[in-house]
Amino acid sequence: MLTKGMGLLVLAAAVLAFPSLAPDPFILSVGVVIMSYAVLATSWNFVGGFTGYISLGHASYSGLGAYGTALLVIHTGINPWVAMILGGLGVAVLAVPIGIASLRVRGASFVIVSIAMVLILLLVFQSWGEVTGGSNGLRVPRPFDESVLRPEQHERFFYLHAALLAVALLVWWAIDRSRFGTGLKAIREDEDKAQSLGVPTFNYKLTAFVISAFFTALGGGMYALWFGFLDPIFQFSILVGSYMVLMSLLGGIRSLLGPFLGAVIVGYAVEFFKNQYGDTQFHLVAMGLLLGVVVLFMPDGIIPAVSQLIDRFRPQAASIREVSAGELAEQRRTASGPGASTAADPATDDESTDRLSEGVQR
Amino acid sequence: MKVTTHHRLGVLALASALTLTGCMSSGSSDEGEEGEGPITIGISLPLTGDFSEPGKGVQRGYEAWADYVNDNGGLLGRDVELTILDDQSNADRVASDYEKLINQDGVDLVFGPFSTRLVVPAAQVAKDYGFLFVEPAGAAEEVFTQGFDNLFYAAPAVADDHYNYLADAIEALPEAERPKTAAYAAMDDPFAMGTAYGLKTRLEEMGVETVVDEVYPPNTTDFGSIAAKIADSKADVVVGGTQYQDAVNMIVSLRQLDYQPKMAAFSTAPTNPEFPEAIGDETEGILSPTGYTPEADYPTNAEFVEYYTEREGTPPAEDEANAWTTGQVVAAAVEAVGCADPDPECQQQLIDWLRDNEVDTVVGPLTWDAEGRPEGAHLIQQYVDGEIRIVLPEDAAEADLILEKPEW
Amino acid sequence: MSLFFQSLVLGVLLGGLYALLAAGLTLYFGVMRVVMIAHSAFLILAAYLAWFFTTETGLDPLLSLVVTVPLFFVTGVLMQRLLISRLRPATLTMMSVLLTFSIALVIEGMLGFVFSGTQRRIRLPYSGESIELFGANIAVVKLIAFGLAAVSLGALFLILKMTQFGQALRATIQHPDAARLIGINTDRIAGYGFGLGLATAAIGGTALALDSTIYPSLHWHWIGPLMAIIVVGGLGSIPGAAIAAMLLGLGQSLLQIPLGTTWAQTIFYVALFATLMVRPQGFFGGRLAQRF
Repeated sequence: MLTKGMGLLVLAAAVLAFPSLAPDPFILSVGVVIMSYAVLATSWNFVGGFTGYISLGHASYSGLGAYGTALLVIHTGINPWVAMILGGLGVAVLAVPIGIASLRVRGASFVIVSIAMVLILLLVFQSWGEVTGGSNGLRVPRPFDESVLRPEQHERFFYLHAALLAVALLVWWAIDRSRFGTGLKAIREDEDKAQSLGVPTFNYKLTAFVISAFFTALGGGMYALWFGFLDPIFQFSILVGSYMVLMSLLGGIRSLLGPFLGAVIVGYAVEFFKNQYGDTQFHLVAMGLLLGVVVLFMPDGIIPAVSQLIDRFRPQAASIREVSAGELAEQRRTASGPGASTAADPATDDESTDRLSEGVQR
Repeated sequence: MKVTTHHRLGVLALASALTLTGCMSSGSSDEGEEGEGPITIGISLPLTGDFSEPGKGVQRGYEAWADYVNDNGGLLGRDVELTILDDQSNADRVASDYEKLINQDGVDLVFGPFSTRLVVPAAQVAKDYGFLFVEPAGAAEEVFTQGFDNLFYAAPAVADDHYNYLADAIEALPEAERPKTAAYAAMDDPFAMGTAYGLKTRLEEMGVETVVDEVYPPNTTDFGSIAAKIADSKADVVVGGTQYQDAVNMIVSLRQLDYQPKMAAFSTAPTNPEFPEAIGDETEGILSPTGYTPEADYPTNAEFVEYYTEREGTPPAEDEANAWTTGQVVAAAVEAVGCADPDPECQQQLIDWLRDNEVDTVVGPLTWDAEGRPEGAHLIQQYVDGEIRIVLPEDAAEADLILEKPEW
Repeated sequence: MSLFFQSLVLGVLLGGLYALLAAGLTLYFGVMRVVMIAHSAFLILAAYLAWFFTTETGLDPLLSLVVTVPLFFVTGVLMQRLLISRLRPATLTMMSVLLTFSIALVIEGMLGFVFSGTQRRIRLPYSGESIELFGANIAVVKLIAFGLAAVSLGALFLILKMTQFGQALRATIQHPDAARLIGINTDRIAGYGFGLGLATAAIGGTALALDSTIYPSLHWHWIGPLMAIIVVGGLGSIPGAAIAAMLLGLGQSLLQIPLGTTWAQTIFYVALFATLMVRPQGFFGGRLAQRF
């Protein structure tokens, strides 16, 4: 427990020290972008990680949060931070009917609606020029006055994003340990069984979905206040939504820090490739290939894959572990075949595990 | 196990924070050598993505300008050196590019990117660091109403004024000969809409009735229904606020419906050399505003056309000319003030100088109002006998304006 | 009145193309419960191939079908056998969405890389020609595209109804386990179903290239309406998808008169939400949708 606290402390210290380590404002601004990605990916993971419902359209909620915040600030002149929270709440309210429509049926419809939401919002925000600024974009007033120079803005927003991330992580952690979280995870593993065991699946899914939309909207709103300019094409972009998925999946959707880790890796990689290779369309190809590889070979992300790798060299008995229904089926399938290649049998939730405990469980 | 993973994560994060900072600051920043060595100029352009075609045109213009300056003794006796980044036509990227150019690469000056969508976020960064921001594209009104006191548009006129000469010509007609009805279709893009609506405002003032007013999303490919509306209205004039491909599509769709207007004006597309090929032989009489023509007899233009043609094999088009103009404008300010470094004081002097002075460029002499709007107008071109010629204003005309468009 | 009639004709022509493409999407969902996001990316790929074929050879783009249809069929079979079937059954629906999504990104990126982001259009000598019918002008190219879609849809229908393979395919869609019991090799059939679905993208792409501009990211423009169509039609029902495609295509075309092009597109999404709220299993058939 002590070392675990230490680990988190080191992580927090690394995040807090980043601005003073950054040699120039550009790198600081990259840091802000990565933190923003981390907030969005973690928010996405409330629904993706707990319920297993993959939303490709979370850019809808970040975009709505951004526009909500911006329009409130511009038209009512209220405090920008209040506007951001109001924006988040507004999006959460809006997420209720969307959730009802898309969660009533399982799986496929949810994904279809998530994509449709992005496309429809892009249309609306582009066309409804009088309110949204249309395709001209919308400038967002700064939350700090003129005397706060740009580098200092970056620093403040870095910490603000970090704080928002901390809150999101805390909530995720709390849900993870709660009865509610257990119910959600039951849905992820087998919705029919969960329902027959008395889990109010629809209400649980809807709640997780609304919480996710709320945090995503806050992330979007904060980004809007930092960046200062909204363009519907980039706010309501399928690509932004898929980044969230890629980051979470890569890091591991079942672990608390998975999306954060994914955001750091993907955000850094994007910046690195841009620096190295610049002018090609290959960023799309690379993103597509990476996503494909993750889906096919590492569907549980890096953290479980890495910890499993470590486990191989660590004979250690385990207490209780979580196994998903899919994994069990997989185990059963591969049990008879050549058993050596069970690499696709990941430990979940970075709980310790080894071959022995599997044997015991079976 | 949980312990180690968390621990590991923390170390990983710290390590990556360090490599991030270490790795990315490897760019050469030339602080402390101001006044010596080359003058570095930072530019971000959309070399991939939606705006890649015009983006590359602007790049050619910038590079030709830099070589030309270096062949002719440099700027303040120093060579100029361009650092061009690709923003993938993405507004988030364009801001971070200028952030990088200014902070990490330590450039002395910046030039603007392409398109209104990208100009606004880029200008914000430049403004925050006190940089002069002259841009080659971003003609829409929205660019100038954002309170940027560092911005100048290096072209003859803002989008809304592109058709001014045409509007003047129509106004000069006797009442009975003027068109009665007009149909407008514009892409939902600040620039394209600006051109069409600029003319719309003028025509409505003259009492020309608007019978169709359509705005379509940038990526529309099916113009069947828009064309159906325009054809059904039988408007005398059709005005397209277009980029390139949408104009081609719209014209093809209008022809499919056998609609014959008396006057047809489209922005941007008709000046593209590929346009007549795409449309076939039916271009006769199509009008278009243009900010540049290689034939113009402004003082520096002949030299520009000659230098560029020798370099690239083809005469420059509008994008290249606007890039070149941007170079000329900044160079004029730098020569006059005598400094070119990132120091806010120097940049402010450059800004102040441009505010009060006229600059001779390849698109004519330019002056700006307080928001950075250039105070000129675009020439009007028309396809006459299969060639695109300047028809308005009369003192620059190469051919007579055809008022009654032949059938297409 | 003539505007109304004109729009009606345009709507029918558009609906035909939608119907063909939605039929392909329905096939994938039917045989594998896979929402194939890359369908429209393959559509654009086929359109690019047709364009490239015509620019290089100067021949009519329709001739490119001889190459693209078999090519896409084989690609579809391989995709199902090598990629989709590797996914764990428990998370198939979600993970297949991500996998096909990543395929779409790769196709878009490669198209941009090879052909650049410039918009392309096939130049045809007859692109401006039209036929007059009761006061409405019908463009020859649109008529050809519609004809192509109608013929292919008819052929697909015949294959499904008349051939043994079609019966096996329908059996696989309706009840995979039972199909396996009576000796149908459902894995192979699912592969062929995928190939057939992708072949519709090849035909649709060529039809699209006749009268439209193409660019790499155009597929996003198509995937939204197509997904709405298959949900409204009832996931998994081909006649349902065809009817929904026709109705929504007509609706879009007619709504353009009062609302303009942009807002008319929202009909797809309104229909999608209304369907999910009122009748999640879709309006036409779609017994499958209830389970997913």
